[in-house]
Amino acid sequence: MTVRSIFRHETFLALLLVVALVVLSFQSDRFFTTANLLNQGRLMTETGLIAIAMTLVIATGGIDLSVGSILGLTAILVGVFWKSLGLPLPAAILAALASGTLAGFGNGIIVTRFGVPPLIATLATLALYRGLAEGISEARSVRGYPDWFYGLGQGEVLDVPTQLWLLLAAAATGAVILGYTRWGRAIYAIGANEVAARFSGLSVEKTKIALYTASGFASALAAVIFVSRVSTTRSDMGTGIELDAITAVVLGGTSIFGGRGTVLGTVLGLCLIQALKNGLSLAGVKGDGTTMLIGVVLILAILASNLFERGGTR
Amino acid sequence: MGKILLSTLFALSVSTSMGFAASPWTGGDDLPTNPLACDATPSKAEAKPYDGGQPTNPPDRKGKTIKVVDVPKIVGIGYFNATSKGIAEAAKEMGNMDAKTDGPSKANIDDQITLIDNYITSGVDGILFAANDPVAIAPVLKKALAAGIDVVGYDANSEPDARQWFVNQAEFNGIAKAAVDSMAEEIGDDGAFAIVTSTFTTPNQARWISEMQAYQEKCHPGMKWLETVEAQEDNILSFNQSNTLINKYGDDLKGIFGMTSVATPAAAEAVTQANKCGSVAVVGLATPNAMKPYVASDCVKSVVLWNPVDLGYAAAYVLRAVADGTLEPGNTSVKAGKLGELQVINGSEILLGSPTVFTKDNINDFDF
Repeated sequence: MTVRSIFRHETFLALLLVVALVVLSFQSDRFFTTANLLNQGRLMTETGLIAIAMTLVIATGGIDLSVGSILGLTAILVGVFWKSLGLPLPAAILAALASGTLAGFGNGIIVTRFGVPPLIATLATLALYRGLAEGISEARSVRGYPDWFYGLGQGEVLDVPTQLWLLLAAAATGAVILGYTRWGRAIYAIGANEVAARFSGLSVEKTKIALYTASGFASALAAVIFVSRVSTTRSDMGTGIELDAITAVVLGGTSIFGGRGTVLGTVLGLCLIQALKNGLSLAGVKGDGTTMLIGVVLILAILASNLFERGGTR
Repeated sequence: MGKILLSTLFALSVSTSMGFAASPWTGGDDLPTNPLACDATPSKAEAKPYDGGQPTNPPDRKGKTIKVVDVPKIVGIGYFNATSKGIAEAAKEMGNMDAKTDGPSKANIDDQITLIDNYITSGVDGILFAANDPVAIAPVLKKALAAGIDVVGYDANSEPDARQWFVNQAEFNGIAKAAVDSMAEEIGDDGAFAIVTSTFTTPNQARWISEMQAYQEKCHPGMKWLETVEAQEDNILSFNQSNTLINKYGDDLKGIFGMTSVATPAAAEAVTQANKCGSVAVVGLATPNAMKPYVASDCVKSVVLWNPVDLGYAAAYVLRAVADGTLEPGNTSVKAGKLGELQVINGSEILLGSPTVFTKDNINDFDF
């Protein structure tokens, strides 16, 4: 039954996406072009990477609010390791990725070992990591990266934006893990009933730590891409990105209480939001109008999926 | 294990914040400063070759109606409402410019970049912008130039080669001199002061602070800098930060500089509510409307600003001149409607003029 209702939500979302694409392409002839769609893919990669990891975290009934701060911290560390410590840039990037991953691991430890609810734990690290980013950077931005580095955020591979390949790979990995592995089933089991999962012999703690670590890594990767895309590092990077990511995940049908959700749904939600933002802007709607409409779509999508679900389960 | 990690993080954050507190000189940028003379000797302008960018194969726009989008740092605040008003005024006067304003609702680099990207796709003829970060905005502006779009900045610059011209509201060292001199006049040459700014990397504010530091060291060496604090361009945060400064430094604090049009009235409000009018001076950049109550109650003596309506107006005329081909690299001045001839400075910048000082006598003549 659950499987069918999940299927329904995604079908509904896909339909909504198609309708949005068709309607928006009638509003502006510049919308449905390969160049524009690929460019939108470039712009949504950072949020996308974070949202995919977030899907898995939320599916266990958790949440990670600190992703934007990890993004800011990692971005600053790329600059600091490279400029201030004088590491070669590839080594600086790896070290920064490791630090971001460690920050995620820290979240996992706080949530599992100290039993702090994820909402509160990551709200605290949201402040902590952002504070670290601002302190370490001493408000200086790092600029002037070598040209090859911009290939990641501004370049193309086989005519597709470089980072879009990363997003696709991440989506495929996430979807396979969640949908087809023992691991994925453990995630659903923990989200559906943590106590039962623990008594069934599932390693609840290890799974959770791994997921928060993965979320940290995804944010760190997004940070490197973001720095490459905008060619500078600032400590306020990624502010508010957690809300964009969570919006995509929830729109994608993942239950905020855990136990339900797919990566495909998240990707559809992500595409729908990006299509609306871009298409409405091209059609001449101003930014505030678009934000309002996204709120309305989110509410409608959740209401509709709840209706479907009720029809399916009763 | 977890405890070790936590305490390490805690120690790290403490050590960095200590390092932070040790240097009150944050907020400036690393660029060289050029303080003006302590008396009113005007500085000599150095000739510099054109260093702006050029659009790739722009269509002939001479005399044709052009579609222009104005992307300020943020929408919904008085200052940028005034610049858009100026742009709309100029567009109406010219009759062949179709201008609209659309900007991020938070002063956020990513939102602004995405917005500009969308307008490039939608096919505008010209982009007017005020950058939230000079480097971060450069790739998207270069993309606009590559698409044959005319790009002119105002208020907050980008890297020079990412746009064609930049309308400079006032030279940084001029504003710095005016601000520091008024502060010295109010609190004396040995007073201590603090600064409330937007963020440490915002281009204009960082430049002003660097120039203020240089000018203060040169001309008012006895004055003491207590701290520079960030308050985004957020009303409540600016008020809270000012309040914290007043409580933290007590009677040591003699003056607060507000570096943004949001911070200055918020600082004045904080001083008013703390009953410190007269003992803590507020000097800063702000729009007259926001400052009228504080100037009327004598809590604030003078407000320094250029006229943002004129700034927007000039930016629109510069864009029109670029599209018509009447403003080209190497020109030394440009006609800007009712403002007359404006001078080209620093290679590819156009100077609006000298700043306006609003006092109790003239503040009611302005409405923006």
